[in-house]
Amino acid sequence: MFFHIVLERNMQLHPRHFGPHLRDKLVSKLIKDVEGTCSGRHGFVVAITGVEEIGKGLIREGTGYVTFPVKYQCVVFRPFKGEILEAVVTMVNKMGFFAEAGPVQIFVSNHVKIQKESEVRLKVIGTRVDATEIFCIGTIKDDFLGVISDPGAAV
Amino acid sequence: MADRGSKGFSAASKGKAIASKRGSLNGRPNSSANIPHINVLSDSDSDGFVEELPRVNYKSNGKAASESLKSGGRASSKREAGKGGNAYNAGKGRKGTTASAKSDAEIKLDLDMPPNSTILMNCEVAELLQEIHEHMAILSEDPKIKMPESFDKAFQYAKEGNHFTTAQSVKQVLDPLRKYGVNDGEICMIANIGPETIEEVYALVPSLKVTRSLNEGPIMEALTALADIKAAKSDLLNLSSEKYLI
Repeated sequence: MFFHIVLERNMQLHPRHFGPHLRDKLVSKLIKDVEGTCSGRHGFVVAITGVEEIGKGLIREGTGYVTFPVKYQCVVFRPFKGEILEAVVTMVNKMGFFAEAGPVQIFVSNHVKIQKESEVRLKVIGTRVDATEIFCIGTIKDDFLGVISDPGAAV
Repeated sequence: MADRGSKGFSAASKGKAIASKRGSLNGRPNSSANIPHINVLSDSDSDGFVEELPRVNYKSNGKAASESLKSGGRASSKREAGKGGNAYNAGKGRKGTTASAKSDAEIKLDLDMPPNSTILMNCEVAELLQEIHEHMAILSEDPKIKMPESFDKAFQYAKEGNHFTTAQSVKQVLDPLRKYGVNDGEICMIANIGPETIEEVYALVPSLKVTRSLNEGPIMEALTALADIKAAKSDLLNLSSEKYLI
């Protein structure tokens, strides 16, 4: 599920970037550092939609870098237990199949014949969080879940 | 990863049995198997996959094994439950799987995002990301700026999962449901799934069943309105494809 959330991060900037475009440089650094990352608490940061506030910079002792606390709004994607998702099958093996919904991979333990690139509707029954990835397990064994369309019929 | 995960994939009721099996695999005498190996369960890799169980369940697994007439040695498995190895097999009994099958259907949406976040429906996200994508198309003349892979995947997902023409129309249809006890997460689920019948809604969002008497009517109306919006979108798509045929 997608969320719009305000997050805060301390950005460090080297003095060579100081000047009239300090703010722009800070924002591009933020975008480069944060977009595409994943945290356990918030999920995948899909896109930054705006910067709310940039606090006063503090010079770090010993290095000369300056730390700015930045508050920004972003769209995050995080799967939840109990959520229903429509995913595309990416890999099939003996144990079941892997499907992808956005940036998240979901494994479904299943013994129905299924093809790669099929669309399935599944329910997330468990989530696991790594440092940089969220991984889920799902099921298609309940009512109204299962294959939506096969790759042959998709066109 | 899949192998390791597959041990954790089994249903919650097998959680303890698995923990004890791992204990025995380590070669240590499993005298402490009556106490589950919480360390394994709380390992960050399996966090969320396997739930901790009270001891009562562990014992009931042994009981279930003795009740289900599988192979011989039921009594011995009960005695040896402490050893863990047999308990794993016993835990594989029918009771474990049916309990998990029942609980899967009843698993309710478990949202625990911080309070300052707003849920976005796929249709809203599709519109938002479309704007950003257009912005990026201008900025991408600068070779240093590159959209991350997760942006593209999420954008694709939101576009494909979007059954409706505009997010505004969907919001207008679904917002009134809040008065009837439907919370944000449930509204978002309904919008993302695009259900066709009321039974589908209750099957896929079991938490709504609790207040069914209150919300059934409004949800039915919302579904009819959503069906109109969906129809409008497919008409639009048909029209645009007809243009190319001419």
